[in-house]
Amino acid sequence: MAEHFKPKITLFHCINTFGDAAEIYLTGKDNCELKTVKMPCSSMVKDIFLLRAFEAGADGVIVLVCPEGQCRYIEGNIRAKKRVAWVQNLLDEIGLDGRRLSLTNMAAGDKSTAIQAMDDVLKNLAEMGPNPAV
Amino acid sequence: MIVGEQKSISEIKGIIAPYKKILIMGCGTCVKTCFAGGEDEVAVLASALRLACKKDGKKIDIEEFTVERQCEDEFIQEGAPAVSRNDGVLSLACGAGVQALARRFVKTPVFPGVNTTFIGVLEKQGVFTEECAGCGDCKLAVFGGICPVTRCAKKLLNGPCGGSQNGKCEINPETDCAWQMIIERLRILGQMNNLRVYIPPKNWRTSLSGGPRKMVREDHMI
Amino acid sequence: MKGKPISRLQEILARGEFAVTAECGPPRGANPEVIRKKGQVLNGYVDAVNVTDNQTAIVRMSSIAACAHLLQMGMEPVMQMVTRDRNRIALQSDIMGAYSLGIRNILCLSGDHQSFGSQPDALNVFDIDSMNLIRTVQTMRDEGKDMSGFDLNDPPRMFIGAAANPFADPFDYRVIRLAKKIDAGADFIQTQCIYNMDRFKEWMRMAREEGLTEKVHILGGVTPLKSAGMAKFMNNKVAGMDVPEALIKRMAGVPKEKAVEEGLKICLETIAELREINGVHGVHIMAIEWEDIVGEIVESAGLTPRP
Repeated sequence: MAEHFKPKITLFHCINTFGDAAEIYLTGKDNCELKTVKMPCSSMVKDIFLLRAFEAGADGVIVLVCPEGQCRYIEGNIRAKKRVAWVQNLLDEIGLDGRRLSLTNMAAGDKSTAIQAMDDVLKNLAEMGPNPAV
Repeated sequence: MIVGEQKSISEIKGIIAPYKKILIMGCGTCVKTCFAGGEDEVAVLASALRLACKKDGKKIDIEEFTVERQCEDEFIQEGAPAVSRNDGVLSLACGAGVQALARRFVKTPVFPGVNTTFIGVLEKQGVFTEECAGCGDCKLAVFGGICPVTRCAKKLLNGPCGGSQNGKCEINPETDCAWQMIIERLRILGQMNNLRVYIPPKNWRTSLSGGPRKMVREDHMI
Repeated sequence: MKGKPISRLQEILARGEFAVTAECGPPRGANPEVIRKKGQVLNGYVDAVNVTDNQTAIVRMSSIAACAHLLQMGMEPVMQMVTRDRNRIALQSDIMGAYSLGIRNILCLSGDHQSFGSQPDALNVFDIDSMNLIRTVQTMRDEGKDMSGFDLNDPPRMFIGAAANPFADPFDYRVIRLAKKIDAGADFIQTQCIYNMDRFKEWMRMAREEGLTEKVHILGGVTPLKSAGMAKFMNNKVAGMDVPEALIKRMAGVPKEKAVEEGLKICLETIAELREINGVHGVHIMAIEWEDIVGEIVESAGLTPRP
């Protein structure tokens, strides 16, 4: 759909899914500009932070959380899921398309899942185009 | 607390359309507790509107300010400088707060961003239920502490209608029949005889039916 | 209730005859011919005809007007009045107007909630409830006063009816409610249609125990089933209905062309049982939009000619 563009992605992840090596896992290729936000628990993805990421120019936002039942703080990843769903809905209402925001469960250090999540986002963005509110 | 729900983004967009600089005013009491209009909700709405307006190619400046309670002039005054900087105020308070703002800031258009719905309680995390209709003549003692004026869809005072089934109201299978609950409560309290007492027609003059109400406490006025 | 009977229905009940009443709904329009036709079909088979009041909150010709049309044909109407749409001012006014037109029987109800009907956006009233309405009509009749205590010149004097539902929850409370309605002034009761005879008999037993059958005339409600689908629908989707599984099976067990016949059989069996129950003084046949069948039912039940 859109002319070729290099998407800006903001990645929110809890430090239990990844250590410092996130960038290495995900940006082997030169296919996007990646910003990372580390959190002690994924439940910290309050709606305002996700929206501010889009205001700051992100075309897509990924949230990586621990698998259900394995959150160190018990329900943090469930709260993250609810919060992400709320903001996806908001993005649809605004007309930005909720698919720009996604959440994926992954076990600590599961490289292939993380890469798959990133690839899915890039595929969607190629179709949706850049953030129209920039 | 007073419970309300934020209006949809599309409705709010329509409301603020004529303005270039708006202030979103939040309230730190009731609407904060029901996640409709506290400081956090103001921030999220401002961010969402900025994104929406940018996408539509509309230029707008949005300022954010939250006061403790919008129903008290003393607190609203703190927002005066912010109001004066803007063309219009989108208030996320309940209807009372919106009107209090309009009373004080006569020259600035004030509009609601929240639909005020009811007086209620937090039944459990994330669930708010209506409990009180403000009828002005409380008879909860007779009904085991459960209000039939508010919680019975027909405001029946002398017992349930024939439509209650499995303890649920005929109009919504997810709504408990207030009378079923009253009967069960009276049973526990040993007050089943209350059910035999004829309750005469209610005096609605103390309710909204008698016009907007006013309460004056001379002992607090200098 | 002492004194000369106010209405023909009261007279029949007072004499100890097994009364027969039926129901008809006014049209969704202003043509009185519709009501007259329904009246003609019922004429001679019933002692009185209930005329519903915007039933299920669907806007129809008013009950009071439809009753007036039936009166003109020489029939005896029972005006149904709900508290959903009118406040105490309008209700009292209509009661007086109804009496002035010759209406002598009234059934006092709360009414189905407006969310079911054709105008779900409307503001409902429920200024007073059915219990208050019963008491109001009694006060007008026995004391000649309206709700404000004003002495009415020529007060309306009606035979007062109320509804009872032995099949709604909670069961043990239903007889308390019946007692309360009688205390408020109900002279006769029409029940919700009966399919679960055991439950009805139990309710009647409790009513007799409290001495209520000495104080009020109870008419058992019946509605003939047309199909197994209808039986299932009523059980699941209509508030306050109890259709036993056995009955649904019975309806499902006959070929489709025989379903109506089976439903009528069940109806007649129900009426026969009702006539045997101590305290039941009549039957109220609710065959809404199927008024033609009432005559056949009354005849087959051996209840013709009417006194």
